[in-house]
Amino acid sequence: MTLYLEVLEIAAGAVLVCAVVTLWRRDVRAIVTILAVQGVCLGIVAGDLAIHQRDLALGATALLVLAAKGLVVPLLLRRVLRKDPRSRETTPLVNIPASLVAAAALIVLSYVVSSKIIALDPSPATRLVPLGVATVLVGYFLLVTRQRTVSQIVGLLVVDNGIALVTFLVTSGVPLIVELGASLDVLLVVVVLQVLATSLGSRFGSFELDELTELHD
Amino acid sequence: MTLLLLGLALGALAAAAAALPVHLRVPVSCLLVAGACVLAFLGAVAELRSGHVSTAHTAALLPMNGIELRLDPLAALFIATTAFVGFAAAIYSIGYAHGPLRSRTAVVSFALFVTSLLCVPAASSVATLLFAWEMMAVTSLLLLLAEHRRRAQALDAARWYGAMTQAGAAAILLGLLLLAAHSGGQDFTAIRAHAPSISIPIRSIAFVLVLLGFASKAGAVPLHVWLPRAHPEAPSPVSALMSGAMVSLGIYGIIRVGGDLLDGGVLWWWLVVLALGVVSALYGALHATASSDLKRLLAYSTIDSMGLVLIGVGAAGALRTTGHPHAATLSMVAALFFVVAHASFKGCLFLAAGAAERATGTRDLDRLGGLARPMAATTVLFCVAALAVIALPPFSGFAGEWLLLQGLLHGFSDTSTATVIALLVGVVALALAAGLTAVAFVKALGIGFLGRPRTQGAAEAREVAPTMRLAMGILALPCLLLGLVPGLVIPMVARAANAGFALPSASPVVPGAGLDLSGFNGAIEPALLAIAIVAGLGAIWMTLRVVANRATRRAEAWGSGREVQTARMQYTATAFGEPLQRVFTDVLRPDNDLEVTHAAESRFYTQAVTYSNRVDDAVERSLYRPVISALAWWGTVARRAQNGSVHRYLAFSFVALVIVLVVLA
Amino acid sequence: MTATVSTVHVWSGIAISVVQVIALVLGAPLALGLMAKVRARVEGRVGAPIRQPLLDLRKLLTKERVHAEHASAALPIVPFVVAASVVVAVAISPLISTSPALSESADLLVVVSLLLAGSVALAIGGLDTGTAFGGMGASRAMTIGALAEPALLVAVVALAIQAGSTNLPAIVAGTLAHPAWAASPERLLALGALSIVVLAETGRLPVDNPSTHLELTMIHEAMVLEYAGPDLALVTVGQAMRLGLLVALIANLFFPWGVATSFSPAAIAIGLVALGLKVTVIVVVIALVEVRTAKLRLFRVPELLAGGFVLAVLAVVTGLVTR
Repeated sequence: MTLYLEVLEIAAGAVLVCAVVTLWRRDVRAIVTILAVQGVCLGIVAGDLAIHQRDLALGATALLVLAAKGLVVPLLLRRVLRKDPRSRETTPLVNIPASLVAAAALIVLSYVVSSKIIALDPSPATRLVPLGVATVLVGYFLLVTRQRTVSQIVGLLVVDNGIALVTFLVTSGVPLIVELGASLDVLLVVVVLQVLATSLGSRFGSFELDELTELHD
Repeated sequence: MTLLLLGLALGALAAAAAALPVHLRVPVSCLLVAGACVLAFLGAVAELRSGHVSTAHTAALLPMNGIELRLDPLAALFIATTAFVGFAAAIYSIGYAHGPLRSRTAVVSFALFVTSLLCVPAASSVATLLFAWEMMAVTSLLLLLAEHRRRAQALDAARWYGAMTQAGAAAILLGLLLLAAHSGGQDFTAIRAHAPSISIPIRSIAFVLVLLGFASKAGAVPLHVWLPRAHPEAPSPVSALMSGAMVSLGIYGIIRVGGDLLDGGVLWWWLVVLALGVVSALYGALHATASSDLKRLLAYSTIDSMGLVLIGVGAAGALRTTGHPHAATLSMVAALFFVVAHASFKGCLFLAAGAAERATGTRDLDRLGGLARPMAATTVLFCVAALAVIALPPFSGFAGEWLLLQGLLHGFSDTSTATVIALLVGVVALALAAGLTAVAFVKALGIGFLGRPRTQGAAEAREVAPTMRLAMGILALPCLLLGLVPGLVIPMVARAANAGFALPSASPVVPGAGLDLSGFNGAIEPALLAIAIVAGLGAIWMTLRVVANRATRRAEAWGSGREVQTARMQYTATAFGEPLQRVFTDVLRPDNDLEVTHAAESRFYTQAVTYSNRVDDAVERSLYRPVISALAWWGTVARRAQNGSVHRYLAFSFVALVIVLVVLA
Repeated sequence: MTATVSTVHVWSGIAISVVQVIALVLGAPLALGLMAKVRARVEGRVGAPIRQPLLDLRKLLTKERVHAEHASAALPIVPFVVAASVVVAVAISPLISTSPALSESADLLVVVSLLLAGSVALAIGGLDTGTAFGGMGASRAMTIGALAEPALLVAVVALAIQAGSTNLPAIVAGTLAHPAWAASPERLLALGALSIVVLAETGRLPVDNPSTHLELTMIHEAMVLEYAGPDLALVTVGQAMRLGLLVALIANLFFPWGVATSFSPAAIAIGLVALGLKVTVIVVVIALVEVRTAKLRLFRVPELLAGGFVLAVLAVVTGLVTR
């Protein structure tokens, strides 16, 4: 097995493992660190594909992904967290062992679902698509079942990472301009959410979306 | 075939022995039943060794259709297993039967129950099968009520059992009649011949109906609700027969109709069977860890074991349909081996539980304990059977589980995604069920039999009658034997598997004492492992005799510096299963009740604390109760149509007649 | 797979098994001593000498046996079963060489079941003592064992799918023949899952604290409170060998280089030295991890084991995907 394939498999697997670990840990600060690691792994996937195909644009995309998802976004999230004294997810809507079993089921589901996509173009890179689909599903699960705002933002970002992974594997790269646009989109979402979370916190004294159940004037 | 027919005849004669006076009735009848079982066993083993198929037909007993019997290796395997358990149960009954169990009804029912159990696998037409099936159901219902007719729980159990058995029999009848209608005859040979020409949707409907009936009998969740109610209330030899022989007949039915008559069928049938197996294994094992009633624990463990067998059968069917006959044969052999092993260890467990209940007066694990010294033989035999269930080497359960895992593993080379996922889920279920079963049986053995007696009843236990101990020993023997030399029975099991599914006749295991897979890379030699374990024990013991201090003394156990420890300070069964109950609390939904009585003088002093913990059957609570309340509601609504007016009733019959005439016109 | 072995092979196999057993009987307590020493040094203490567990065992052998007064005949048998089961598991596993005695039966499921036999025996012994602590330890230990089973078996299946068999020497030989397997993602994920399972099965932090003295925090220790003298020596050496066996198996399944594939004395010597090196490295890593973690609450342990389970499922799916 060539080095290119080995690095690709390990990096893509690492993206999914990071998604599962965000579901596993309770400490929100640790979840943000793991999100950074996931961004780096995603950058490695893009970089590996770029080197294999000798595609400069894809290489630039890889660097962009590394910078944006690996550094900038986690930094912004940590700024939000610094304002919030509580940093543990004590009562997720679904308890942790059950969420992990659900994650295992989602991984199996994505394997079943992706077999049709793989059948269209069975190259070694496309065969890893189930890992990306599983990341999307696990991220969505995180988004739905966590109560801390930052955890939910992380869930959204994991979904985005999963979609990016699938895109890289299936089309072996997107044009730089598309990736730039997508990254700016995500950055905008994170900045808006950060501002929202901060102003929520200062106005209502709480960061919990669930505690905001009444509409005020 | 002749031996089997002789056996059946002897069984009927045993029923006639009920005419004898009271003290002769039970021994003579039970001995005749035991003789019948021996004859049937010998006939079945002869059939398994030769592999020829023999038939018998008589028009005498049933009007219109007559009785059709056919002995092929698949039927022979189940008859042999049933006969073995029946023999032990009959011997056990000689010592166990007392009071209401000596009545004529009980004696006749027992004899006919065993006879019908021997007859079902050999049935070769729809009428014969249902005749034997209904006789089995009716006699077991009568036996269920034999010992504790007045107890409310026994009546409740009988109601559930009767209703579900009849519903199951109706489903089986519908399915088989559908097949018979499209085959021009209710003989199994006719159905087998015409099956390929029946359209797939009809075959699927028939299979689903038949599956509902047979799966309910095998205790598959969610049709299992009668099992944990009926097994504890029945007398112990009957429970052993129900668990060891009757539930296996559900598996037999699925294999016979799906595999033999319908020739394998469609993939989704077997994935459904596998799914039923997965759910049953996990559900049964979990509820076994949460039960503090010894026999209810064993009943749930039966559901778990049958779930594992269904996983094997489902995997075999699926792999055969997708074109992997060798892996399919392995899974099928594993499932059938497990059926044989299960019959012996579960039978032994129920008989030992019955002995404990007879000696102490209770089957509540929280009230037992300390039976190791007064009832040494029972404890040792329960321990042997429990170690077999937990699947420790070198017992039979381990060989069965190894075969099952190998069967599932070597199916992974399949290309169909659905099958691969199903196999993976099967492995997960196997693993978790194995772990939970270990918890349940350590609980049953350690709390029920070891330690100190928790109540007066347990303290006054005495060892039971010799016939009861003999019966337990007979059933415990295969637990060891099948584990040490599984290769002894594998060729016969392989022949049965091939008869069931029309698989290639090559045995998946190379002939020999151990298990050496042919065509796949994998082998174990349990006999050599046992020798190694014994050698290890011997070497350690001798080393210690030479090297270590040999002095021994008795002293009080450590209690954190307390002076006196009472037997009530021990862990109870409820306490033992509590951590697992907490982990799986969303599935089990236990009913916890804590009542604190304060002292009269002040609220700050407690006088007494009462804690009760009840785990109801989850499926019963969430699925059956709403359905039953809906039916009750419908009943009250429908009652409005009956207001006592004669005119209204006459109007009903008039309108019904008019409608029928309109339809016919 | 039929093996036609000559008498020489059989006797060599038995000799290798004996060497493996003696190596672990002496080496596993030394490994425990090394772990304690590493922890002590990192925590700024001097710590006991590395051979302290061996000295403790020698002391225990000279003391007299004490049986709990209400226990039945089961309690004295338990230490022998615990020790014998792990000795047989060590004898048949490919630790120094790929062909010890009975290596055709050296199946992963056999080794797992033999270790389960040891745990079950300890739990039954704990319940037989008739004390509250014995029951408590038995209940907790069996619960953790039951929840670790799915992770363990699915990781085993992941390895077996890749190697085509659950036979341990076959997996070791397969990895030696295909070095690229060692770096495949499914192997790494299975390694992660098995590491968590090994921590749970051997009672190390963060699942259980082996050096606690508070009975209510004990899991394994609570079951062995009632053994004294040679019985306690057997149970202790059994527990040590269990850790040694699991660590050695992980070393040889995932990094099999150094394992002897022939019967020559030189290869056996290299195998022994390689095993010692690999076990030392892993044991030091475990000790460093233990220093940094605190014991988990009992009801947080299922979270850890569920995580191991997901890693194992991921290993199987990745294996199916990358085939």
